[in-house]
Amino acid sequence: MRWIRAIVTLLFVAAAFWALDNRHGTFPALGRLLDPFTGFWQNGERSDAVPGNLVLPGLRAEVRIAWDDRHVPHIFAANEHDLFLTQGYVAAALRLWQMDFQSLYTAGRIAEVVGPAALRQDIFTRRFGLPWAAANTVRALRDDAETKEALEAFSAGVNARIADLGRKGLPVEFKILDYRPEPWTDYKSALLLKAMAYALTAFNQDAAMTRMRDRGGAWSEAVSSLFPDFAPLVDPVIPPGTPLDFTPVAVPAPPVAGTPSAGAAARTGVASTDAACDAPAPQGPFGPPGLLARPELGSNNWAVSGRLTKDGFPILCNDMHLELSFPAVWYEVQLSAPGMNVRGVSFPAAPLVVAGYNADIAWGFTNGTDDVLDWYAIEFKDGTHAEYRQAGAWRKASVREETFKVRGGRTFVDRVVITHHGPIVRWPDEPAFAAMDVRAGAALRWLGHDVSNEFTTLRALSRARNYGDYVAALENWSCPGQNFIFAGREGTIALWHNGRFPLRWKGQGRFVMDGADPANEWQGWIPHAQIPHVRDPERGFVSSANQAPVDESYPYYLGWDYASFERGARINEILRAARAVTPEDMVRMQTDVLDIRARAVLPRLLEIIGPRATSDAERRCLEELRAWNLEVRAGAVAPTVFNELWSELNRLTWDDETTDETGRMPRPASQVMIDQVLGHPAAAWFDDKRTDGAVETLDGIAADAFRSAVANLEKRLGPFGEAWHWGKAKGTVIRHLARIPAFGRKVEADGTGHVIDAISAVWAPSWRMVVELGPEVRAWGNYPGGQSGNPGSRFYEDRVEDWAAGRPYELVFLKSADEPHPRVVGRTVMRGRR
Amino acid sequence: MIATLVCLLVMWVWHLLTPYWWGVMLFPFAYGAGLAKTGGKAIRTGLLSAGILWLGASLYFYFSGSGIIASRMAGMFGLGRPGLMIAATALVAAVAAGLSGYAGYAVGVLFRKPAKRTDTEERS
Repeated sequence: MRWIRAIVTLLFVAAAFWALDNRHGTFPALGRLLDPFTGFWQNGERSDAVPGNLVLPGLRAEVRIAWDDRHVPHIFAANEHDLFLTQGYVAAALRLWQMDFQSLYTAGRIAEVVGPAALRQDIFTRRFGLPWAAANTVRALRDDAETKEALEAFSAGVNARIADLGRKGLPVEFKILDYRPEPWTDYKSALLLKAMAYALTAFNQDAAMTRMRDRGGAWSEAVSSLFPDFAPLVDPVIPPGTPLDFTPVAVPAPPVAGTPSAGAAARTGVASTDAACDAPAPQGPFGPPGLLARPELGSNNWAVSGRLTKDGFPILCNDMHLELSFPAVWYEVQLSAPGMNVRGVSFPAAPLVVAGYNADIAWGFTNGTDDVLDWYAIEFKDGTHAEYRQAGAWRKASVREETFKVRGGRTFVDRVVITHHGPIVRWPDEPAFAAMDVRAGAALRWLGHDVSNEFTTLRALSRARNYGDYVAALENWSCPGQNFIFAGREGTIALWHNGRFPLRWKGQGRFVMDGADPANEWQGWIPHAQIPHVRDPERGFVSSANQAPVDESYPYYLGWDYASFERGARINEILRAARAVTPEDMVRMQTDVLDIRARAVLPRLLEIIGPRATSDAERRCLEELRAWNLEVRAGAVAPTVFNELWSELNRLTWDDETTDETGRMPRPASQVMIDQVLGHPAAAWFDDKRTDGAVETLDGIAADAFRSAVANLEKRLGPFGEAWHWGKAKGTVIRHLARIPAFGRKVEADGTGHVIDAISAVWAPSWRMVVELGPEVRAWGNYPGGQSGNPGSRFYEDRVEDWAAGRPYELVFLKSADEPHPRVVGRTVMRGRR
Repeated sequence: MIATLVCLLVMWVWHLLTPYWWGVMLFPFAYGAGLAKTGGKAIRTGLLSAGILWLGASLYFYFSGSGIIASRMAGMFGLGRPGLMIAATALVAAVAAGLSGYAGYAVGVLFRKPAKRTDTEERS
């Protein structure tokens, strides 16, 4: 009996130990997590005080850090090695879990941490080739002595921080997800480059456009009429009329046959098995690489010449829109070493400053949104996929084996078949990926796979003193192509639509192309001096908002799928009227919320729906719309109604059009829809294909859309009232990267994706910056989040309210480590040894 | 009482020297196996020593900077109030240690001499 009792109680104890010492699904290992001596209780921060002295092995000289009241480190080192070593240490001290998790995500290894649920995403990441691209890139990075030293020093700094952490010092997410950080390497910093290249250039509608074209007839025509290369209403980045300062080179000739890729698709049989979906809103369960920059979700930047400013100094403004997340995408830092004193924001996973300023120049970004990703239909010789047709012969494919160590599951090996174009991402017998509409059986050609070293650009910009330095710095930048905006203290403003762009025949890459025809391949590059650029234009400002970079006078084809017209047009409209501009004006402009889409289309829609509102809720909505001042304010109801009306108008107009049995037609950009509403009210697109006999026009569809919109809102938000206020209805949320609900938060804020203050539900200005380049540079900035990645720190989300309200902070910019400054609240001295 | 105090102190030192949470199971087990005179005492000693240690420690950390993280963890577990994280911490330690203490006792009595006297004590 006693034996039985002993055995039973021992079994109970063993079960309790097992239960408390292991993670179960998403439920954490409670014993370890709750242990007050090593678990989450250790992740509080006892004070805001920063360490006075620290030993950082490897430092060659003393490094001094001044911390300002926003917890921004201002790092002063005697050489670049020490600077980046310290930056690595500080970045890891602030954001280690974020760095580690993002690197795992981009490496396609997230299933190692979260289990089988993430395997499909990992397979996509590896097939797409992000870790492969990073591995290629890191070899190039090591070829450049300065980059090599910077990355090695940065890695050593991160690893010194990891070494300082016992179990109890680990960021809390490691404890919840129950794993440990890996040693940092230059490869992991390269992964960050590829993650950004992916997020900003991989969105494409090639498969959907191909389905439309292949259906023939009116559909083929619709590709060019509804998805044109040059859309109405768009005010391009480079001011129309800007003279070319170069002689264009010859562009390759297109293939001679009519539609070769359609033929290839038929031969390979991939079209019929392609379970098409309408370019799904890309989303992943975790992290930034799951969310692609759709063209309408973008960024703003502009620079105003001293001719238009009150004090005569140029002012540069930038707000980069990315997915809202905790920890925040960016952290602020000042980096100083001989020849460099730069201030701005950086990604935690890499050295240098990405966007910012020094005493002489400022620079910033918006996404270029050009087409640097193509698909090629491949005809394989047989089911082994060992050879494929190319230029009239069979060519051998290579295979890369990818091993997935799934947590709590089996180890899985995937064979990635690679053509000379690039990898096959999805096979005809496979389900679609949530992350991207991938043409089954097609090979991917993506600029991000090419070797490049973007760090040299950032380093050179940090050291730049004038326009010449800036232009020289841009040459090495390949991907993602960006609108690099510039202002210099000397008075120059400029914008280069900068990156590496394939020299394309017109329309090349718009559709899935025949992979066997060499004429479809990229055959060279637009010379760097001939990429779109403008310096000191007559109008006194330069600007960009992800819209088409050029008009038809530009000699090269760059792509077609750019952001809709609103933000770009609104920025230019304000700046054209601007005189005696102050930095305060620019800060206000960054939170401008005038909806020029509504301004263009609402009067016409009101004419239609006005007489047709019947229910009480419809009449109240109508009154709100009629009284609306067109500002997208959190406390207003009209934006909620207009947004829903616009969405329903688009749904009823476009979603009854199907490109084939399985695929809906992609929705055209807003400027095309506005053109249809204002100029083509009887267009066939307004006819509802699901009604037999009846032929609908704009009037009928708009009235239906209004009724449907109001009904949707009543269903979703309840009776007309406070819940209909835009700030609430929009539901902006800053989510934690691992989607831990209590680590994120909701925000009520003005704005929407297509106004300058582009705060949408999960995508928003990730860093707003205004820099005035006077004799003493002054700058203001803020971002949604906080410097610390620790959810237990008061610096985790301390900036959110001010960010949501459009209140930036003046940025502390020190000339030396010991400069007295009222906002410096602590100083740390770091030495190589005690 | 003395046993509880000693057990608590030993566990505390263990926590300061090692990163392993399961000290709160190990020492009650050892006490139950080697020293506890009754199963009830083994349970009580483990439960109180570990419960008080983790309660005290979590209270200390809660009031010295871990309030924010406790709130977030309470949110993650759906507990609502951070105070409940303190209770949960103490409860997990207490239950694990109490159970462990009793298991230690149940195993220990198998090897004690004379086993009979122990049984008698247990009944009394």
